[in-house]
Amino acid sequence: MISAQKINKRFGEVIALEDVSFEIENGEFVFLTGKSGSGKTTFLRLLLRELKPDSGELKTDIETKTLPEYRQQIGIVFQDFKLLTDRNVWENVALPLLIKGVKNEELHAAVHAAVETVDLTEKMELFPAQLSGGELQRVAIARAIIARPKLILADEPTGNLDPVTSKSIFKLLKQIHDELKTTIIMATHNADLVNHGALRVINLEKGKVTKDVAKGKYEEN
Amino acid sequence: MKRIRRSPYQTMAAILVMTVTMFLACAFFVVAVGSQAVLKYFESRPQLNIFFKSDYVPTQSQIDLMQAKLVGTGLVETVKFVSKEEALNIYKELNKRDPLLLEAVTSGMLPASIEVSAKNPNDLKLLSEVVKDETGIDEIRYEEDVVAELTRWTNSVRIIGGVFVGIQVLIAFVVIFIIIGIRVAGRKDEINVMQLIGAKSSYIASPFIWEGFWYGVTGAVLAWGIVYLVILYSMGFLISFLGNIPILPPPVLFMFEVLGGSVLIGGFIGGLSGLMAVGRFLKS
Repeated sequence: MISAQKINKRFGEVIALEDVSFEIENGEFVFLTGKSGSGKTTFLRLLLRELKPDSGELKTDIETKTLPEYRQQIGIVFQDFKLLTDRNVWENVALPLLIKGVKNEELHAAVHAAVETVDLTEKMELFPAQLSGGELQRVAIARAIIARPKLILADEPTGNLDPVTSKSIFKLLKQIHDELKTTIIMATHNADLVNHGALRVINLEKGKVTKDVAKGKYEEN
Repeated sequence: MKRIRRSPYQTMAAILVMTVTMFLACAFFVVAVGSQAVLKYFESRPQLNIFFKSDYVPTQSQIDLMQAKLVGTGLVETVKFVSKEEALNIYKELNKRDPLLLEAVTSGMLPASIEVSAKNPNDLKLLSEVVKDETGIDEIRYEEDVVAELTRWTNSVRIIGGVFVGIQVLIAFVVIFIIIGIRVAGRKDEINVMQLIGAKSSYIASPFIWEGFWYGVTGAVLAWGIVYLVILYSMGFLISFLGNIPILPPPVLFMFEVLGGSVLIGGFIGGLSGLMAVGRFLKS
């Protein structure tokens, strides 16, 4: 479970988050919506412990001793993919397991399974420069799921993609959620996806929670 | 290796500076060990030669008395009587390549002597005072100046070499630190991604530490090879310069010990530079 209680975060004079409070149950798929600068990414960065809140409490049930171990429990998908350009698909996907020191046989099996999930089995030897935007994001998703994380944070994963590809990426995330029961928080301002997703929506405006709509109840005004 | 191949000029600069550094370190070490061996050689030779007149043959009791007097001072390491016959044998050995010199000399022409090694070269004058008034003494020679001069020279080599190598090590450290720092900065985004997906600092840092280590090891091996070649190439000159001092050729085992030491030191300097460069970035 993720519990945010009166989270405040400022960058100098700029208020990024103000009194943000909500809870997310294990296994939920939540859209975090809002315009650019509304605080979506800041919240995800707080969850990833890249930033610390100025005040308030942000808790997860991920119990680890160190920051790297904590992050190993989280899968992360970025808008700009953040793949390693000098490594091929296989190597990029394998990275979270390589840093955990997973041995060869287990590693190979996990990479094949993850790449198969995102339907890129035939492109495992290719490098990022040889892939389309949608394929790059699929690689990033495979990398995010390979270590079977408890939580996946997707920060505008469809922001750089065309509408058709965006829908396929969302479907893929939904499929992963349904199969693995992983908690997913997807920051997006793609109204079309949010409207058709029929999922819980938490909307932020100027750092404040303005809507927290339960699964299937959301309708964009 | 991929990373090293990608920036060949930076790699060459790093290896070059490590080679120069390790060359100086190896060269100074070999010279220091060589000069120490030369010093030992002179110290182990008789430093005080007490020559009897060439027409005088000392009695055994006189020899025993003189030796006892010298040993009794407590300042003597070894003392040995050299008879006229033994003196001729030594003369023959030294001049075996010159038959003319051998023909002209007989044992009667050469003086008997007592050879003395002092525990401390500074006591040679004192020891000469003990026996200078004995019957039949013609001349007393001692090599105090040679040993003292060599000691001074050896110490100077150590100090100057140490300072010089120290400065060069610092330069090598800074150059590798900068080169690996550039590489780290060039891979900033990649490192950030690795940190976000949970890579430990040791995982991120290890390729950069290895890179520095290999620069150091490569430089050390090249430097050692150059030093060895220089020694082998100049062996003829060095042997004629050093005369009978038996320090050349350097033992192969010693040279491999120098190689091992160089590799360890070079690898340590390179690895530490890499660690500091990436550590600085990870801290920030």
